[in-house]
Amino acid sequence: MKTIVGKVVVLGHQGVGKTSTVIRYVENSFSQHITPTVGASFFSCKLLIDDITVKLQIWDTAGQERFKAMAPMFYRNANAALIVFDITLRQSFESMQGWVFELKQNVDNPMVLCVVGNKSDLAKNRQVNRDEAIQYAKSIGATYHECSAMHDQGVGLVFDDVARGLIRLLGNSSDHNLKVYDSENIDNIMANSSELEATDTGKEETVNLSINSIAHGNTVKKCC
Amino acid sequence: MPIFALQRSYKYMMYATKQPSLRINQADLKCKNGCGYYGNADWDGYCSKCYRNHMDQERQRKARQSHSDQTKVSGFSKFEEKKRQQTDKKNKYLKSLPVFRKTSSAKDSGRPERHLDLRQANPDADKLTAEFISLYGVWGEQVRRDFFKCVQSFTTKIYSELENKPIEDIAEMAQKYYNLYSNRVNNTETYQEVTTDVRDELLDFFEKYVMVSLYSWLFCPPSTNDEEKDLIIQERIRKLSWVNAHHLDCCISETSIEVRDLVYTAITHLLGMDSMKAPQDKLSCVVSCCQSVVKVLQHCQGGPVSADEFLPALIFIVLKANPARLKSNILYVTRFCNDSRLMQGEAGYYFTNLCCAVSFIENLTAESLNMPQQEFEAYMNGEITSVSAWESALVACEGMHQLCEHLSLLKDLSIRTNTVQDETKKLTDDILKFKEEMNEKVNSVLERTPLIIKPRKTPELSEKVDDTQNSQNFYLQNLQIATSNIDDAKTKLQLDITPCVSKTSPTDDHSLSKINYDIDFSDLSGESSLAELTPEKRKSPSFTPDPFSPVGSSCPITQAPLIPTKPDDFVLPFVETQETLLEKEDEGPNLPSPIKPMTAQYSGFSKQGWQIPSIPCITGELGANASQANSQTSQDKEN
Repeated sequence: MKTIVGKVVVLGHQGVGKTSTVIRYVENSFSQHITPTVGASFFSCKLLIDDITVKLQIWDTAGQERFKAMAPMFYRNANAALIVFDITLRQSFESMQGWVFELKQNVDNPMVLCVVGNKSDLAKNRQVNRDEAIQYAKSIGATYHECSAMHDQGVGLVFDDVARGLIRLLGNSSDHNLKVYDSENIDNIMANSSELEATDTGKEETVNLSINSIAHGNTVKKCC
Repeated sequence: MPIFALQRSYKYMMYATKQPSLRINQADLKCKNGCGYYGNADWDGYCSKCYRNHMDQERQRKARQSHSDQTKVSGFSKFEEKKRQQTDKKNKYLKSLPVFRKTSSAKDSGRPERHLDLRQANPDADKLTAEFISLYGVWGEQVRRDFFKCVQSFTTKIYSELENKPIEDIAEMAQKYYNLYSNRVNNTETYQEVTTDVRDELLDFFEKYVMVSLYSWLFCPPSTNDEEKDLIIQERIRKLSWVNAHHLDCCISETSIEVRDLVYTAITHLLGMDSMKAPQDKLSCVVSCCQSVVKVLQHCQGGPVSADEFLPALIFIVLKANPARLKSNILYVTRFCNDSRLMQGEAGYYFTNLCCAVSFIENLTAESLNMPQQEFEAYMNGEITSVSAWESALVACEGMHQLCEHLSLLKDLSIRTNTVQDETKKLTDDILKFKEEMNEKVNSVLERTPLIIKPRKTPELSEKVDDTQNSQNFYLQNLQIATSNIDDAKTKLQLDITPCVSKTSPTDDHSLSKINYDIDFSDLSGESSLAELTPEKRKSPSFTPDPFSPVGSSCPITQAPLIPTKPDDFVLPFVETQETLLEKEDEGPNLPSPIKPMTAQYSGFSKQGWQIPSIPCITGELGANASQANSQTSQDKEN
């Protein structure tokens, strides 16, 4: 059985409901054994999809414009990004495109992208067309979901999709930096261990040398 | 090598935000060499690979130059300084001072002694060795031997390379060793019996052990300018001391006591980072600091804390804490903490936030505080010396703190005053009730047993009158003593509870009346001649029964007759009685002394004495004796 550990970073304009979405999801799925970190902006949760355990580490980020320059620190080594916008606020959709642009520029590794239109319960005040959003998501190679963190609609689907995306990523590309622990991956470990052996001999030499040196040093000292 | 790429991208991310502008031109980020990788301001705009090549070239050039001319070139001063620092360090461990880059042979000869020194110089390492044995000794000798073998090879290797390679390469080596040891633990037979959890612990312990051993060489190494950076950021934070929570749009209420305590906890944790040696311990300090910040926010706003609020709060804490060697610590953790821990998990998240906070502080502009440029500059130049928000908040907090303490004290006091008042009221009521009851009883008794005045012989009558006067005096005396006692009590009460004085004083009056009652009753119940005198008392114009009734017992009545009577009425009757009583030699000493009547006055009490607990036994007995004597005398007189 495989276990994948993926880092999911949540991006988006201030006030679009990034934290609410995450907390809604974490509360729903894990209310029985809620982690003590709930209430903070870091969450860790496990999903089981097709015999594969996917461990999501969700990093919430600050959405203020003034902290935008720090975003690269957060999404470095991320395996997935949730880009959240508010469907009732055109501005948040536009600023989201800025987030994506910078994300694409700064990240070399393949990443699962997921565009999320939040506040679907306020659809009558909609300022962002659904088709437009879907089209945009397609253009950046992302999936699109609409959800309502407040009314708990479609939140689970978003994270399910992210987890599936991570599994696909594992299968498709080789230069992902997902952490995988499983039994199938034994070849990889073997390769590593052979490398270890190679360096190990080098290490042995160093050890031997140093031990000799200690002896030598001691005798010198005695002489003095 | 994936680690290398990772390291590179991480380093880039760390310093990518040097530019204050929000949009960074991509061209600015690329390596100066044009190799396509991202550059870094810390590396003179090169990427890590090109920077290393560049530095190697520089070094070779410098080495060549210093070969050619031994005299110092002014442009090299910085280089020379670093070189000197290094050589100073070497000086401690090596007797021979190599002037130029060491040859490989020099390295080899240097190694043993350095190695030796490594073992001697670390009492911490010894402690950790003991800890290792106590924790993991159960897993057998082989594990222990292998562990220390790996530690040994790691430290020796790193130490030998310390002077030849830039710190980044050393860090890379360290990461490689962590991975190697991890593989070794997971795949070698030696560790077969060790459970998975303990394996992880072993890896952590390995990291801790080697880092503690090498701490003094790897933390803020002299080959880097970490120290300068520390000073720069410290100065920067000091200059930004005027920034308050409001500027950062964070909701920390600086005046609340609970919040202040939590903020202090967070600051303490952050400051504690510098005293730790192992990177993982430093990280856990960061984590506990951040958790305190989360608590602060939860306290201030309630509900879950989002990153939108967390980051500004953390920036605020960093600004107020101004931790020592902040930059060195961050760089040390970045370099030597196991990447797998730093990249993910809670610790990684919080550490990233801390890096963000530091980066924000470094690049802080008027724009990022939503403040006009001029105002910002005025603050920075010290033209506007705003009341330092934090300090004023502290003062306010101190005031608030005291206020709260006083309030709680007052609350306690008011509760106590209330109980005292309630009790007093109850007492007053009781006394009033008692008074009425007593009045009723007295009246009923008086009605039931009307007092009949027996006809008496005339010579005795005069004596009787004197006696009545005496007895009156006794009562008065009694009353006076009682009042003085009450006065004492009053003053005492005044000291204790001021607001209650007005309430307590009437009760004192009543207690006075109570005493009177006792006296009265003793007289009435007493079969002695004194009892028969009471009707005369009632007859006498100056004395109504009022002084003995609670209502009438006011001060002027009790005091007024006393003062004039004392010299005349008090002594004289005794002189008269002396004449009559002189025949009785036994009684003599009892009566004549003016002080003695004090005992005689207790005659009233004596019979009731057993009912009044407040009167000490001895006086009661004395009184009893005196009353016996008195009754004897009266009987004698009657006879």
